[in-house]
Amino acid sequence: MFQGVNASDGIGIGVAQVAVEPDLSYTPHPHGDPDAEAERYNQALNKFVEHTRAQAKRMAESVGEEEAQIMVGHINMAQDPFMIDEIQNRISQGMAAEQAVDEVCDMFHGMFAGMDDPLMRERAADVQDIRTGLMANLLGKEVIDLSVLPPNSIVVVAELTPSMTADIDKDNVVGIVTETGGRTSHSAIIARALEIPAVLSVPNCTTIARTGDTCVVDGTAGTVYVNPTEDELDDFKKKAAVLAEEKKALEAYRGKKTVTGDGKELLLVANIGNPDDANGALEHDAEGVGLFRSEFLFMDAKELPSEEDQFNAYQKVALRMKDMPVIIRTLDVGGDKEIPYMNLKKEENPFMGYRAVRYCLDNPDQYKVQLRALLRASAFGDIKIMVPLVTSIEEIRAVKELVEECKKELSEEGIKFNPDIEVGTMVETPAASLIADDLAAECDFFSIGTNDLIGYTMCADRGNDAIAYLYQVYQPAVLRSIKRVIEEGNKAGIMVGMCGEAAADPLFIPLLVSFGLGEFSVSAPSILRTRKILSQWTKAEADALAERALKCKTAEEVKDLLEANAK
Amino acid sequence: MVQETVTIINPTGLHMRPAGLFASTMGKFKCNVTIKGNDKEINGKSPMAIMAGGLSCGTEITIVCDGEDEDEALKTAVDLVKSGLGE
Repeated sequence: MFQGVNASDGIGIGVAQVAVEPDLSYTPHPHGDPDAEAERYNQALNKFVEHTRAQAKRMAESVGEEEAQIMVGHINMAQDPFMIDEIQNRISQGMAAEQAVDEVCDMFHGMFAGMDDPLMRERAADVQDIRTGLMANLLGKEVIDLSVLPPNSIVVVAELTPSMTADIDKDNVVGIVTETGGRTSHSAIIARALEIPAVLSVPNCTTIARTGDTCVVDGTAGTVYVNPTEDELDDFKKKAAVLAEEKKALEAYRGKKTVTGDGKELLLVANIGNPDDANGALEHDAEGVGLFRSEFLFMDAKELPSEEDQFNAYQKVALRMKDMPVIIRTLDVGGDKEIPYMNLKKEENPFMGYRAVRYCLDNPDQYKVQLRALLRASAFGDIKIMVPLVTSIEEIRAVKELVEECKKELSEEGIKFNPDIEVGTMVETPAASLIADDLAAECDFFSIGTNDLIGYTMCADRGNDAIAYLYQVYQPAVLRSIKRVIEEGNKAGIMVGMCGEAAADPLFIPLLVSFGLGEFSVSAPSILRTRKILSQWTKAEADALAERALKCKTAEEVKDLLEANAK
Repeated sequence: MVQETVTIINPTGLHMRPAGLFASTMGKFKCNVTIKGNDKEINGKSPMAIMAGGLSCGTEITIVCDGEDEDEALKTAVDLVKSGLGE
């Protein structure tokens, strides 16, 4: 068994197809006929453009227009007048076409690879792709063609270049294994878009596996088995069959309303981390966004993002989600989220320190930039503002005051916004839970952030294995806290949602149905499964289970009870 | 020769798609198009050169057009950058 990075979920069982890069070495030979050499380069370029255009077309059909644009980008880069000039100049000075292409690609590769912007560094990989394509054409070698693989292939490559991904036929490729790349690499994103299980960064995989070997790729666990034992293979076949069956069955819930077993309508929305995630949310049939973490805007930047930058990002999500609700959490800095240019002081106890709304209210001018951007974007969709880490009434009042100030400014400037924009609390501290009744009177909605609520209630760090038994949503203290927040919110007539992982926990869902949770915000791939589980519970059934759960004295008892009654 | 200074407003700066859009749009004009920014002079018809220029959001650039259709080219270029280059 080999461990790598779990980049795309699912289990793939098939036959390894190890693709080794063609040998593109050459002898730099001077030539006497620049015109003939230039013509050789032109032909290589034309062939490259033709081939890439076909790839782009295939990709537009199999993955999506956005990804196909990457291949179109390759064509534009290869046909770039600057690049062509540089290559032709070298050829006219007597250099062989191979060397000219190699040198110029090197130059561009160096330029892109040295840039700070991660988006730009990705262009370095594109340049390599172009170099490989052009050189293979010049040398008369074939580039690995992944478009003609037999069915049930597991692609094993050192690095999955964008053009290789473009060739992948998802009907024939059941798994991907590479030696490089992480969860956020382009290969990973494409693999997820194609829904092909993928494990990346498996050292030496191209030498461990040989073409023809039976392979198992477990993209969820991040493991690869080369020539597994009969038992292992049987085991994975069963797992894969169960997964396939489940996935197929879940499709029945696509396009359906989210209702409990007795017909109560609920809102089932997605958690997202950046504007592009909105596409994934829609693909998985989300009914809106229950948590858009705005940190990405701040963490990916070198300085505070401007109002315009933020507005663009929020507007993008609002427009994509059309009339559906989009809850955006304001900056949750501090704790484990460090943003270098904000120069926050090192603290003894960062999770209990200067963070989130505390930092924001202490820097109102900075916070107002975000609030103004949110208000402006609210003219384009149903945007709601969510405040993290609230522990006192004063905090939510102060935020609302700032929102009012921003509204006034925008009105004076003649800029449109939604005057009735909702402002709510992300309930994630024991303090907020204990004053939930008063807090509800000041808020338009609650969304329970279980990840932090469990941590703060149990005084247990989620990352600390030694105390993992404490960090559980099934702890009676957490259960009571969640129940209280939902009930107080419902009493006040405001929407109560949950945006932590517990909202997608099949065991926990019946308790939430019983407590009266109105909105479930989960990761996009969990949407259909959550809709299914919700449909299986009536209020009466859920109440009966909740009554017993609340009598349990320990987390273990709660969990055992829920497991015994899971549907 | 005509020129005008503008600020890049699209969030990701002049990366592949915006650079491609800019270069392909400017490629339709006969005049030479140069972008001055980050202490560099960049061929405005080359997406590679534009990308390699590392022009991020908030950067001030001066667009210089020189040739027979320079006025129209400059206006098109400035409008394009101000509109956020399709983002």
